[in-house]
Amino acid sequence: MKKIALIFLLALSICAFSLNLVCAAGAPRLVDQADILTSSEESQLLSLLNEISERQKMDIVVVTVDSLGGKSPRAYADDYYDYNGYGADGILLLIAMDSRDYYISTTGYGIEAVTDEGLSYMEDRFVDDLSDGDYASAFTTYAELCDDFITQARSGDPYDRGNMPKSNFPWGQNLLISLAVGFVIAFIATAIMRSKLKSVRPKSGASDYVRQGSFQLTRSNDLYLYRRVTRRAKPKDNGSGGSSTHSSSSGRSHGGGGGKF
Amino acid sequence: MAVLQQYKCPCCNGSIEFDSTAQKMKCPYCDTEFDPEVLASYQESLDGDGEDEMEWESQAGTEWQTGEAEGLRSYICESCNGEIVGDENTGATFCPFCGSPVVMAGQFAGNLRPDYVIPFKLDKKAATEALKKHCKGKKLLPKLFFEENHINKIQGIYVPFWLFDTDADANIRYRATRVRHWSDSDYDYTETKYYAIHRSGNLGFSHVPVDGSTKMADALMESIEPFDFSDAVDFQTAYLSGFFADKYDVDSDQSVSRANERIRKSTEETFASTVKGYSTVTTEHTDIRLRNGKAKYALYPVWVLNTTWEGKQYTFAMNGQTGKFVGDLPMDKSAYAKWLFGIAGACTALGMALSGLIWLL
Repeated sequence: MKKIALIFLLALSICAFSLNLVCAAGAPRLVDQADILTSSEESQLLSLLNEISERQKMDIVVVTVDSLGGKSPRAYADDYYDYNGYGADGILLLIAMDSRDYYISTTGYGIEAVTDEGLSYMEDRFVDDLSDGDYASAFTTYAELCDDFITQARSGDPYDRGNMPKSNFPWGQNLLISLAVGFVIAFIATAIMRSKLKSVRPKSGASDYVRQGSFQLTRSNDLYLYRRVTRRAKPKDNGSGGSSTHSSSSGRSHGGGGGKF
Repeated sequence: MAVLQQYKCPCCNGSIEFDSTAQKMKCPYCDTEFDPEVLASYQESLDGDGEDEMEWESQAGTEWQTGEAEGLRSYICESCNGEIVGDENTGATFCPFCGSPVVMAGQFAGNLRPDYVIPFKLDKKAATEALKKHCKGKKLLPKLFFEENHINKIQGIYVPFWLFDTDADANIRYRATRVRHWSDSDYDYTETKYYAIHRSGNLGFSHVPVDGSTKMADALMESIEPFDFSDAVDFQTAYLSGFFADKYDVDSDQSVSRANERIRKSTEETFASTVKGYSTVTTEHTDIRLRNGKAKYALYPVWVLNTTWEGKQYTFAMNGQTGKFVGDLPMDKSAYAKWLFGIAGACTALGMALSGLIWLL
């Protein structure tokens, strides 16, 4: 089984070689085994991946397959990266069409650049496109995000818990909140103005007519009866960011994560 | 000697028993434990509850002496049926209650003679000034209201008040809690301690006034309070010259309920202010008994101004002793809308600018 897959891959790489889509390191950075991209999308995406990979000196890879052949998405993605001659640092996105799995495997510096928190941020941005079948757009988003994450990591402060990329300014939401707050303040302010027009109010008590010094307490006791103690478990503080890693079958350390689309 | 005493649990009201193992009283329903002494004092506190008593004796007002009321004239407004009293030299030219110019003079008759009067201390000019000040700084007042005001239609009236003196004995029980929070590494703790609190004592009230005229709105009259009774003198008809007096049409028996209400409220507040240092306090039982209740009849000085604005009547009143001026003013709806939307718009813009700034940083 493995042999067949290997032969198939070999054939594919030869094929890719003949198409002159291969990078200097060896294996192509786009392997569309499931054939879900058109050839123009393929060439566009590949040149994007190559450009980013060469500039960042890392391998940004996209692999699509029809089936994982019984392997877990993680093992398949890790092994694919390990056994196809990619560099020491890289990020690989694997898509399996039959089980609708996606998996991002990070290696070397990629593990540092894409933390667990960063990974879920990335997923939020391209998995919807995957589910809609807009694969080219999902892969482009993924490639651009990788570029952005690596650049940020190289600045010495990778995206992680408490340091995530800024989302767009939420105009609608902020406008609604500002309007609501504005009207509440306006209602309070005008209610104060209105209350100034009103000066006729019945008196509730007769404290103005209490005879001076007439107040006497003849009995005053405070009796303690009983007590109740309730306790509540404190919420546990979980995690502090960073990347979780595991070893693949080759013994190499990988990070990453995935899910269904 | 053993006394068979059935105790009720202060927590759940169930019958409580002595737990011989814990050597404590333990409620079999809610498992709360108590010191037997605590329960005994608690029970004693409950047994002291009484009923409200609000009895009054009224010797308010005296009969007019022969000849004393002869110089008085009564004026009746044809339009609102208001009746006022003045001396024969004070001609009424308009009704102080409704502003109507048709006032009929008639012979003064009947009614009780007031016990006391607080003479006017402030004159008409002071009242006019007070109205000007009253209208100042009101952003929502229609601009034309002040200009179109018939400020000259202002009249000094002695308003009949019933004055109530009493000593209030109160017996009040409260339930209070004290809450404490602390935490260790795993849990947050909240401890609630429950207390039974008992207060009894007395409080004296002097000259609690209740408006005795239906022509004068009670709320308006209460708004210009307080009156300082130390300025009051025994009533003489001479004080009426230049002013009018309103005759009472609510007697002291009918007015007393309002006095009781206010005395009760103040008594409750005074006693509640002695319960300090608790997180929550709720009143469980209150009984108030009034002793030495007496009512007196007095005339208090009030400047009254009536004006109409867009078909609605506005009445202002000034305390003729202290100068306190009250009266509801009309609202300019378009000014209100301008302010409302202006402030809302400004705050929204500010909110957007702030949120943008926070986003950038």
